[in-house]
Amino acid sequence: MPVLNSLAARLSLLFALVSVLLLGSIGAYLYHSLNREIAWRDDQMLRGRLERMEALLDDGESVAALRQRPQLYANMLGNRDSLLWILDARGKVLIEVNPGRLPVPDLPASDEVRLDDVSGAIPARLAWQTLEQGGRPLTLVAGKLLDERRQMLSAYRLRLWLALAAGALLAFLLGWGVSRRGLRPLRRLAEQANRIDVRHLDRRLNDEGETQEIGALSLGLNQMLDRLEEGFLQLARYSADMAHEMRTPLTNLLGQTQHTLRRERSAEEYRQVLESNIEEYERLSRMIDSMLLLARTENPSKEIPREVVDLSVLVEQLCEYFEGMAEDDGRELIHRASGSVVANCELLRRALANLLANALRHGRSGTPICVSTVVTAERVELRVQNQGDVIAPDDLSRVFERFYRCDPARTGSVDSGGLGLAIVRSIAQWHGGEVGVESSAERGTIFTLSLPRISPDAAAPLPPARGSA
Amino acid sequence: MRILVVEDEQKTADYLCKGLSESGYRVEVARDGFDAQHLIEESEFDLIILDVMLPGLDGWQLLQLIRRRSQVPVLFLTARDAVEYRVKGLELGADDYLVKPFSFVELLARVRTLLRRGPPRETEHFRVADLEMDVLRRRVTRQGERIALTNKEFALLELFLDREGEVLSRTYIASRVWQMNFDSDTNVVEVAVRRLRAKVDDPYTPKLIHTERGMGYVLEDRS
Repeated sequence: MPVLNSLAARLSLLFALVSVLLLGSIGAYLYHSLNREIAWRDDQMLRGRLERMEALLDDGESVAALRQRPQLYANMLGNRDSLLWILDARGKVLIEVNPGRLPVPDLPASDEVRLDDVSGAIPARLAWQTLEQGGRPLTLVAGKLLDERRQMLSAYRLRLWLALAAGALLAFLLGWGVSRRGLRPLRRLAEQANRIDVRHLDRRLNDEGETQEIGALSLGLNQMLDRLEEGFLQLARYSADMAHEMRTPLTNLLGQTQHTLRRERSAEEYRQVLESNIEEYERLSRMIDSMLLLARTENPSKEIPREVVDLSVLVEQLCEYFEGMAEDDGRELIHRASGSVVANCELLRRALANLLANALRHGRSGTPICVSTVVTAERVELRVQNQGDVIAPDDLSRVFERFYRCDPARTGSVDSGGLGLAIVRSIAQWHGGEVGVESSAERGTIFTLSLPRISPDAAAPLPPARGSA
Repeated sequence: MRILVVEDEQKTADYLCKGLSESGYRVEVARDGFDAQHLIEESEFDLIILDVMLPGLDGWQLLQLIRRRSQVPVLFLTARDAVEYRVKGLELGADDYLVKPFSFVELLARVRTLLRRGPPRETEHFRVADLEMDVLRRRVTRQGERIALTNKEFALLELFLDREGEVLSRTYIASRVWQMNFDSDTNVVEVAVRRLRAKVDDPYTPKLIHTERGMGYVLEDRS
């Protein structure tokens, strides 16, 4: 039901429902009170009549005399719904006032005053008592037709129903108004939210001067917007950086090739251009490779296969790989890693290789590079420590960002295009781990890659990759 | 040796055809899955290079078709470097794969490896010009002089000797010698080759290890 999708409509209906319940209960209570009150008063009146009749008879007035002077009791009746009978022991009617033409009731004898309803075509309430009058038993019966009472009560009921309906309607309308008014901040919120789009991600919802609930909602939404804006800006920056990074090799390719084609050249010259082009192509290819890896690790479509990786073996492999480069630079690779971790071996190797390459690239010549492990209850931390220029605190927080370089002038074709450390972070996060860096003059620069410790049972071995041996 | 290249991209197919022909293979090219199916059913090949994304039948379907008929080596090419992709290809019976973009040298190296497959040839002794290697005793000599090499230098030289005359790309060398299966952006391989040359080549003539700029390195006697 589309109407019930409106919060205001739902609230109004609930208001109406509550009103019906409330008014209905009160109405029912009042109706029954009234009913009881009227019945009680009627009964009292009937008793009173019996007493007065009795008093008349006690005064020595015989029934015969009373029959002669009907005004005595006619006065006391006076309306069309009153009944009066005086019956003798055999039920013969001695005196009768019966405008409704009720049949003479057959009543049991009773010394006390008794009350009862007679149903039938014409319902009535009767009070009776049996007296000794001059040695003869007489039954006095006073009664009242119930027609009028019932009519009155039924009119009263009708009025109650009408009041109930009117009340419910009123409650619905009032509720509608109140809800609309109460929900106005929500509409304002929606209007504000509508004004936020991709080009205006800096706009925020106004959370001041609003009610507590709306304020909390606005605050939560604003915080969400902060995060989205940050992510969006990063993405935009990333795209711009990426385009910029690609421009350099493409400029070289275009310029060099066009320049070469301007006139005839020797085979050797053509050869040199083609060879130079290959280097640029490789650079582009590596960049694409890195970006794809980042895209994949940042939005992993499925769980990565993991295995138990012996860190000592892995670091040994990497040290052997970088040994030549390090020695050329007069540097020593110190291997102090031990223990094992459950991870994707290929990715972990790549992350560590990037950290080592980074240390080799930025550390000072002639100083050692140390790879060590710290194992705690929850984590395994791999540390790569090197001596070199202290990284400024501003740079420190950003070194893991894509394309971020501490020294903007330092780019080269062997550089990873500023993606190496971003890849490390991405791989760490894919494993549920994190990266860190600290830098000081005393201890040098330490990059840490910390991975959660998972029980080896959780490892699913990689499918055998025959393709790359 | 007959090679079937199944590739729908015109330029790629052209250069694969040219390059492989120049390397001494007889090459047939199929531009879509149905052509390929026809060729596979009509004739025999020694190797099939298969692009995965194809019009008509795709590479996976072709692979299954091929495997129902023969055990011809299949190298598949994919533009998607996702693990599940590689695994799928290998599970379906492919022998090797290359992720685009790949270097031609790399492709050639893999083609040669696949065509050489069969009983593995364990060479115990290599000799190129005056360079000799005794694999079992781990001895390398040149002009009769013993040359001391580290483990990795020995592995690198062994790789060069085993593939004498073939240009080996940096990536291929890194993956064979150090098991680094990704294109590292460092010049580790250059450094390693330079250090090997310093021991094996620099003091002697003729030079045996040659740099093919933009492609990689090759060991051969060019004198």
